[in-house]
Amino acid sequence: MAESEEEVDVLVQRVVKDITNAFKRNPNIDEIGVIPCPEARYNRSPIVLVENKLGVESWCVKFLLPYVHNKLLLYRQRKHWLEREALADITCTLLLLNPDFTTAWNVRKELLQCGVLNPEKDLYLGQLALTKFPKSPETWIHRRWVLQQILGQCSAADRSKKPQQGEAERGEAERGDAERGDAERGDAERGDAERSQQLSEHLARTLHQEMKVCSDAACRYPSNYNAWSHRIWVLQHMGQGNVKVLHDELSSMRLWVSMHVSDHSGFHYRQFLLKALITELSQTPASTSSPQQRCSTAPSSSSRLHHSQANGELSEAEAAADEEWQLSANTVLQLFHQEMELCSDLIQSFPGHETLWSHRRHVFYLWHHWRKEQQQKGSTNGESRSEVLSSNGDPAPPTLSAHSSAGGGGGVNGQGHAAEAMEVDGASLPDPRDSKRLKTGVLPPSPPALPSEPSFVSGFLDGCCNPEQRRFALAYKKWLDTVIGQQP
Amino acid sequence: MGTQVKDVIIKPDAPSSLLLDKHADYIAAYGSKKDDYEYTLSEYLRMSGIYWGLTVMDLMAQLPRMNRPEIVDFIKSCQHECGGLSASIGHDPHLLYTLSAVQILCLYDSVDALDVDKVVEYIKGLQQEDGSFAGDKWGEIDTRFSFCAVATLALLGKMDKINVDKAVEFILSCMNFDGGFGCRPGSESHAGQIYCCAGFLSLTGQLHQVNADLLGWWLCERQLPSGGLNGRPEKLPDVCYSWWVLASLKIIGRIHWIDKAKLRSFILACQDEETGGFADRPGDMVDPFHTLFGIAGLSLLGDEQIKPVNPVLCMPEDVLQRVRLQPDILS
Repeated sequence: MAESEEEVDVLVQRVVKDITNAFKRNPNIDEIGVIPCPEARYNRSPIVLVENKLGVESWCVKFLLPYVHNKLLLYRQRKHWLEREALADITCTLLLLNPDFTTAWNVRKELLQCGVLNPEKDLYLGQLALTKFPKSPETWIHRRWVLQQILGQCSAADRSKKPQQGEAERGEAERGDAERGDAERGDAERGDAERSQQLSEHLARTLHQEMKVCSDAACRYPSNYNAWSHRIWVLQHMGQGNVKVLHDELSSMRLWVSMHVSDHSGFHYRQFLLKALITELSQTPASTSSPQQRCSTAPSSSSRLHHSQANGELSEAEAAADEEWQLSANTVLQLFHQEMELCSDLIQSFPGHETLWSHRRHVFYLWHHWRKEQQQKGSTNGESRSEVLSSNGDPAPPTLSAHSSAGGGGGVNGQGHAAEAMEVDGASLPDPRDSKRLKTGVLPPSPPALPSEPSFVSGFLDGCCNPEQRRFALAYKKWLDTVIGQQP
Repeated sequence: MGTQVKDVIIKPDAPSSLLLDKHADYIAAYGSKKDDYEYTLSEYLRMSGIYWGLTVMDLMAQLPRMNRPEIVDFIKSCQHECGGLSASIGHDPHLLYTLSAVQILCLYDSVDALDVDKVVEYIKGLQQEDGSFAGDKWGEIDTRFSFCAVATLALLGKMDKINVDKAVEFILSCMNFDGGFGCRPGSESHAGQIYCCAGFLSLTGQLHQVNADLLGWWLCERQLPSGGLNGRPEKLPDVCYSWWVLASLKIIGRIHWIDKAKLRSFILACQDEETGGFADRPGDMVDPFHTLFGIAGLSLLGDEQIKPVNPVLCMPEDVLQRVRLQPDILS
């Protein structure tokens, strides 16, 4: 086994090369790991590639890590020169072994800035590091920086009619050569439209891929704060105002949270989605600002509102706004109703989970505030709006059809139920017939009002045999009484 | 259906008295063994590591055992052209390690070893338009970095160099419905982030903006049957979260809301009787990080064998008196 300094030098250089070659041989490596192996066996490389899994034998890590670590630090202190390619290889090895080494990520940021590395490749390296270190804060931080670069390039390309050749190429790295040739032959206008279409597709793909990376990391480590807060950041920066993305996320998260009833971070993400959707749906014409359209794949409700205002006469615009408001209010009610029902189902099916009770608090709190806000708007906006809110201020829809009560039953994994909600939503189905159908009375029952919560709780206080469940139910009751009860 | 409560069971033979001498020996020996592999793995946070070790030694009145000149020289060589400090030589500067360095130099009463004006310029340059702070020149935003910025400036007596109103505005935008705070607006409440935000509001004189009863409620719910505290619902108890939750409760004047005796037995049970030091949970491997937060927690709980600790800066109170800093505490 290699022991002398010189031998270690030779060994490590070979191993770094083996890792680089493994990525060349298989560009689809999807997981990394250390293979427990206290001593070198035979005369073979400690780098093992089996299908899409890259392993490093444990015996060599203690040589490998200090060597690449020191090499990079010497470079950083300008005591030792490294070529750009060598820097890329060394930081790759280093970060797969120790992804919280901030300075190594920074070296890669510099390489990205001068075009030696490309953003997609660095996102891929981070993704691999997260398969072994799903919490690694520095890996998530680097991802956000890379995503900012991609966003910056896209908006720069979007702004200028004729982007620099290099910039366009970097921004559209995933475009095929044939497509690129096409765009160059086309006339300027069509080229622009195509380019912006491709940019938005590129961003939509990146967003989708990010969601997948977050999901994987969330599955590898429970209540993974860094993964879930990254996911929120991605939506805030790449999916702002995009009701369809919010809806899709909410619906795909339904099954996930049902299977991870202890994952407080996953449920918090759901609360974030709910709040974001409600904010989007509840925007009044006066407060509406044009949402970011660039990467939207569907128009948000607020942008359609603008449209109807600009085209119609004043009275028509008002009527349209009222219709829009009622449509949104109904969608929001439906969302609250389904969420409370999902929460009740889960609490009953999985007793004793603090996360579920905490989720209930949050959803109830959101609903409580939304209702108060609607009441205030109802009183300032005249008759037509107040009909949705009954005299005691609870949101009670004017008519209930048979269809609505049929929608009440969803089970724990009620995927069908969720899909149904998506269909009723006006934002994802802008067909006017649908909004008419909604307006004429296909409405959900209202979510539980304040008085029904104590009765939900008392069910657990009576004959409940699980002491934890009882404790959480009591805490929830106390929370309702003090936090909600004391609010004006 | 039985539910498994996420908690630990403290064994009857777990340590129940404070082993101060063992802990001092553990920390004194820690810096001297520089195993190549372990050392490189954690070098990216070396400056904070030194802060943990020295602070816990000072709280146990053992600071003279550490090599002062060597450490001060090391810190000097970690200050960069831009004014910021890095975790170690050859690493890049960051707010996290700038705070740790200034904390260490306060323990040693030698802040003048640094170019203080440049430190202040560095911090000032990281404040963003919305009041938030980037951790370094690459722009990551986190409420932790807001805390690092104001804590460093408070220790240097230079708080007036930044836009404090804007900085407060950003922190308040990260407050959640449960009274807690997350890393950015919309992020989940987390005991570590809450500690940073409560500390930030204390240092900026804005604690009245906290809903102390609501936040206190959330923090108290972190206590588990074992007596230990977790950092979020359904996570295991941990000595470091015990500190962050306890210190936050102290800052907002609600420390009497938890069962102190049970927390004390949990922390004591996390000691290693053979090696000295504290682990995250009973029976796990010890490290300097958990050793500091174990000792600091016991100090906040009133253990008289340990010097009083300041809940906002996690430094001995006598050091803060020397730099004339008295962060607000709600009563």
